Amino acid sequence: MFTKMKLDNLKNEGVENVTMKERRDFLKMGLAITGIFAGGTILSAVSSMNKVFASSEEFASKYPYKPHYSMVIHQDRCIDCERCVEACAATNSVPHEAYRTRILEKDVPDAIGQKREFIPVLCNQCNLPQCTRVCPTKATYKNPKNGIVMMDIAKCIGCLTCQESCPYNARYFNEEKKAVDKCNFCFDTRLSKGEQLTGCAAACPAKCRIFGDLSDQGSDVYKTVHQIEKAVWVLRPEAGTKPNVFYTKG
Amino acid sequence: MKKSIPVTVTTVLLSLTLAGTGGAGENSQHGGEIIFTKPVRSVQFSHKAHVEQKGLTCDMCHAGTFEMQALKAQEKPDFTMESLYQGKYCGACHNGTMAFASNTRCASCHSGVKGSNVAQSH
Repeated sequence: MFTKMKLDNLKNEGVENVTMKERRDFLKMGLAITGIFAGGTILSAVSSMNKVFASSEEFASKYPYKPHYSMVIHQDRCIDCERCVEACAATNSVPHEAYRTRILEKDVPDAIGQKREFIPVLCNQCNLPQCTRVCPTKATYKNPKNGIVMMDIAKCIGCLTCQESCPYNARYFNEEKKAVDKCNFCFDTRLSKGEQLTGCAAACPAKCRIFGDLSDQGSDVYKTVHQIEKAVWVLRPEAGTKPNVFYTKG
Repeated sequence: MKKSIPVTVTTVLLSLTLAGTGGAGENSQHGGEIIFTKPVRSVQFSHKAHVEQKGLTCDMCHAGTFEMQALKAQEKPDFTMESLYQGKYCGACHNGTMAFASNTRCASCHSGVKGSNVAQSH
């Protein structure tokens, strides 16, 4: 007879001992590993779908920036018309071969009903960005007022370390600027000139990209991120960067 | 650009290839694959899916709803989602009763810029 194990008394041996592959395998099943017990024989996990990272813990009651710019993407509304991509390129002089935002396509041939979905991606303006941490010259930094991850192109030495560190593949080297370029929520081209929306959000004909201030309880982004009836998620939560770009459906 | 995430176009390619070969029997006389590019790029309409698989006849759509000439509809200013919701064009059937409603399953018909690029390369 085995003695019954008291699960409550087990000590969490730390998720840092779980390999990246193992974590990824669990994430594919929609689970995030939260603990490892009894010498690795028992894993605890929670659903990774409903986690809203930027609004959990310390960020829940008080957002660190004012305005705390954020975007909610209603993924099922995207039709890949790419007006956002065109508007972004025109507004921010993005060269043809590069992008600040783009649309990914996911095909599920065996799905019932709709078999394809489009996923707009852009810089996630993370609360804990890796790019700013690794930049040796502080050329990329978190704007202390609005939280936008910005570029000071005069300081950029083109080492591309930021590009390597970005979990969202949101940076490219701009030959003309001789510096790395990235989405800054159109801060220099629109927001600082009094516009309320980013170029992409303004150009979207399907109300797919909702842009706003997450610290404003009346904003659509706040209302979407803080409800619990519909799932809201972020891309690559395992990177731990607390993104400010959220995804939902409906 | 580093490690670009590959765009999966296989399904679209496959469906286009199938449409290109045409169907056997009396129903093979249809308009094939139609790619609308206005007012947004792009919307894919498959005659094969509607005629051969769903069993629709020509006059069900081509007696008023759509002209016989391909892509004539997209020249009209009211060829919009709003019109569909009012029961025009695709909305004549895609109203939630006869077929899935026009304001659902967007990417079922909308194949995007990627869809039209694939179509052009064939």
